[in-house]
Amino acid sequence: MVGLSQYLIVAAALFSLGVIGLFLNRKNVISILMCIELMLLAVNINLVAFSHHLGDLAGQIFVFFVLTVAACEVAVGLAILVSFYRLRRSIEIEDINTLQG
Amino acid sequence: MANVTFPFPFPEHLITLLPEMIVAVLAMALLLIDVFITKGSKITAYLAILTTMIAAVATWSLQSSEVLVAFYGMFVFDAFAVYSKMLIFAGTAFGMILSLEYMKKEVNIGEYYILMLFAMLGMMLMVSANNFIIMYLGLELMALSVYVLVAYQREVLRSNEAALKYFILGALSSCMLLYGITFLYGVTGSFNFAEMGHALQNADDSSHAAVMLGLVFMIAGLGFKVSMAPFHMWTPDAYEGAPTPVTAFMSVAPKVAGFAILMRVVADLLPAVQHEYETILTILAVLTIVVGNLAAIAQRNIKRMLAYSTVGHVGFIMMGLIAGTADGFSGILIYLSIYLVMTMGVFAIIILMNREGIQGELLDDFAGLSKVRPGYALAMGLLLFSMAGIPFLGGFWAKYAVFMAAVEAGHLYLVLFALLFSAVGAFYYLRVVKYIYFDDERVAFNFVESKPIQFTVIVAAIGVVLIGVFPSPLMDLCKQALGGLV
Repeated sequence: MVGLSQYLIVAAALFSLGVIGLFLNRKNVISILMCIELMLLAVNINLVAFSHHLGDLAGQIFVFFVLTVAACEVAVGLAILVSFYRLRRSIEIEDINTLQG
Repeated sequence: MANVTFPFPFPEHLITLLPEMIVAVLAMALLLIDVFITKGSKITAYLAILTTMIAAVATWSLQSSEVLVAFYGMFVFDAFAVYSKMLIFAGTAFGMILSLEYMKKEVNIGEYYILMLFAMLGMMLMVSANNFIIMYLGLELMALSVYVLVAYQREVLRSNEAALKYFILGALSSCMLLYGITFLYGVTGSFNFAEMGHALQNADDSSHAAVMLGLVFMIAGLGFKVSMAPFHMWTPDAYEGAPTPVTAFMSVAPKVAGFAILMRVVADLLPAVQHEYETILTILAVLTIVVGNLAAIAQRNIKRMLAYSTVGHVGFIMMGLIAGTADGFSGILIYLSIYLVMTMGVFAIIILMNREGIQGELLDDFAGLSKVRPGYALAMGLLLFSMAGIPFLGGFWAKYAVFMAAVEAGHLYLVLFALLFSAVGAFYYLRVVKYIYFDDERVAFNFVESKPIQFTVIVAAIGVVLIGVFPSPLMDLCKQALGGLV
């Protein structure tokens, strides 16, 4: 029987993978966007699991908002990335280094 | 007319959303109008400033002594929301006024002001939110608009880079905030602040771990937005890289909105876990005060220095949250109001001195300002003295209000610690004053003077002096503004 805690463990694993990917990733920014997406999906699993467990619909409604905002977020992020690429000709993490101190 | 029935009950107190509706509709209308306006004209900018003013008038005229709740408890309109929104309107309007000259070379500049309006709309929703769904939507509306504003100088590499860093860390913080909210939802079964607070009070010990997890993630997520250490890493980069008017805007208005949310959460949601959140916030406040004030000393770029100074100020403001009393909260509002005035003035002077991003950013560039323009030098001196908290200028009363509240709530050692670092902080503000008054001019000054910027400088300089001499009207105003919160 799959209970609440199993869902929470899966969500926690996904969230941790996202955070680890974000900080260990040294290659390029696209994979950072993927990690962020992974973390948001972990949040959604949590919300749906709690919502089902509590018998309360609000959590599942929140999921739709999170999904919508996630799409907007990626759109804005990719736009900034394209604009950055035009000037820098690279999207490597190591090349994001003009501002320091 | 036929009898029209709604399929659902008509929302109560819908009128309280009038300012939000005005801003949303006018911002979208401006997007259309902007297409027909000749390139390089400032009409959109003036219309955007006008929209801000209309929203301010609408908010002010709607205020009442009661707490009005609309949309089934999702949206709350009380004196606290009105006052916070006024601060946000002021921050946005000054941000727009400062942009008039600075951003005029950009193409498609109309969208810039419209994005500011959308950011403002997000912040208005945040301060009125009584529910995590509304809060999250407002927060993202603000954050997404500000990411784009930071990247607005598309030909400038550092503007893009700042936006990219800000975006990545901002998105991470939103995820953490959401993850925290899910656990609090799991324990309480609601997204409504008051209902959650009530449920937390009745929660049994078995859910304590989940509550703590949720609390930590939620404070971390909100801490990112108001740049608490150790979640402040984006602040210096974003401040330095962003166009200066955007820096001015984002160092004030989102901070007001972030602290408004934190205050609501502390007041409504967290009384049940008072000991825990006090501990977390105290640790964060100590870190924030240390990092902000020490790191600012090492900076050569004034925007970067002000970024760390913001972090330091956030540390001081957090003491009002830790106090958690009515005095603490009104102290936060006083601090934010005075901080708004000071920050706008300082950034206005930086913009005045900015010549295509070269001059007026390094501290050395201010050398000898007093001999060339004694007026600006005096204004800058007053504003920096005020930021350092020298008595009888505005900044002193800001610190006084939060420190006294924290002492009364029994946090004497924390206040002594903050006082010590406030003295450290005075060093780097006074260093700029030293450059202005005691050093010789190194590069020829080239001011980009314009009436709106001079207006901002004068308003800010007079503001800090007036508040410094007569603090009581502002203090009374902020005390009254707590109606409905505590």
